[in-house]
Amino acid sequence: MNDFRKLFWAQVPYLTLANMKSRYRKTFAGFIWVVMNPILLYGAQSLAFKTFLRLELPNFFTYLLAGLLPWIFIIQTADMATPLLVTNGHFLKAMKVHPLVLLLSQVLDNFINFSFAFIILLIPVCFADGVSWHGLFFLPIGLFILISGVIGMSWLLAILNIFYRDVRYVVSFLTGVMFFLTPIFYPVSYIPEKYRWMVSINPFYNLIQPVRSTLYQFDLENMLKAFGIGLGWSGGLLLLGALYWKKKKNVIYYHI
Amino acid sequence: MPDTILQIQNLNLKYELEFHRSDSVRDIFVGMIKNPLQMLFGDKDVFHIIKDFNLNLKRGERLGIIGVNGTGKTSLCRCIAGMLRPESGEITIKGQMRSIFDTNIGIQPELTGKENAILLARFIFPEAKSDELKEIVRESLEFSELGKFLDMPFKNYSKGMQAKLGLSLITAKPTDLLILDEVFDGADHFFQQKISQRTLEMIEKSGAVIFVSHNFSQLEAVCNRMIVMEKQNILYDGNVLKGIEYYKSLKR
Repeated sequence: MNDFRKLFWAQVPYLTLANMKSRYRKTFAGFIWVVMNPILLYGAQSLAFKTFLRLELPNFFTYLLAGLLPWIFIIQTADMATPLLVTNGHFLKAMKVHPLVLLLSQVLDNFINFSFAFIILLIPVCFADGVSWHGLFFLPIGLFILISGVIGMSWLLAILNIFYRDVRYVVSFLTGVMFFLTPIFYPVSYIPEKYRWMVSINPFYNLIQPVRSTLYQFDLENMLKAFGIGLGWSGGLLLLGALYWKKKKNVIYYHI
Repeated sequence: MPDTILQIQNLNLKYELEFHRSDSVRDIFVGMIKNPLQMLFGDKDVFHIIKDFNLNLKRGERLGIIGVNGTGKTSLCRCIAGMLRPESGEITIKGQMRSIFDTNIGIQPELTGKENAILLARFIFPEAKSDELKEIVRESLEFSELGKFLDMPFKNYSKGMQAKLGLSLITAKPTDLLILDEVFDGADHFFQQKISQRTLEMIEKSGAVIFVSHNFSQLEAVCNRMIVMEKQNILYDGNVLKGIEYYKSLKR
């Protein structure tokens, strides 16, 4: 364990940096390109749902920001992490590398991109719309729960994809479906009572909620509840990922 | 006094092949509908890859491993390297170990050869400090003769160029136990000679070496002990030349 921690610090930050360099094509324009993506999506959805469809929701811009950006972070990471161990199979087989080092670098890389886009949008929304200043204080905890859950989910998906190579296509199809079933641009209160159970078993919703509860209509009790449920989900996902990895750690070398 | 660097006792490695029926979610879906019982309770195939394996390697020994494909040479090396966890048995290593199974590795193909080398060095020499790493990379890149290609994206490298980069890095520093699994292929004739020289120098300085290869002249040049593997275990253990002869006689 101690060994792993040492390796983690010696490898993950450098690999993350290399990921980012590669993704930005080493230019500032490349960076803008990557960060613009979520910002544009946010702009388009604001326009579509607030201006065109006229959703009647107080502080819509805060609500959408606190839901859509974490959502993009989750699906982008799942999308990139799922094939990761297969595409890097060559490297994994060439020497002793912990697959988690690769996964963590990918999650971290995405998290940094997400953070830039998030902050760029959060500042104007803070002043123009109704972000709760008290809640901002708890935001890091919400983000911590989110990122833990995403690590667990990526771990699970990446190993699954080694054995079932079409998992990545299933994932991208499912996330497309889930976008409409997850309260991102509409509130839970719009969902009729008899369909609410769908939300309570939705991992995406339960990982987004810890972040959203700190920014949107801050209420300590609601937030703590979201934290508790979110922690349960992210802990569960991490545990599943770890157990699955433990069970399959030998076999993967014969499949990548 | 020759001291033991590697000791393997009663090593067993098995591999459960439970995914032979389906390797995609679509197949599972189809299988579940067609024959759910078979999908849930079908047999698993168990392969015994390494069976009751024992080995002792002393300082100064350079062990060659030879055997037809599928006899567990690479799996054995991966066990020693700590990549595979054996079913049972014990592996004791005294000192530091380095294991390489492939030399054509680019971690980020979009980045240049040099950037990849810097990154790769961190994984090959996890114990080295930053200053030492810098020196290793500088020296290796000079040795690699890649010159202006170093600033080209790694994805544009030919196989041989990739091998040059990887080989130069791997051979930069001696260690206590070195495992090289079929790594000396791909570079051109002239570089091959140069790298052999460098490898031999490094191997001289290393504690003990395990060298897996199908190339007899390389085995002769590097090793001073040879084992022939067949059916998950050692069939011959001893002199290099005799080992090669023994191996050749297997297929007659």
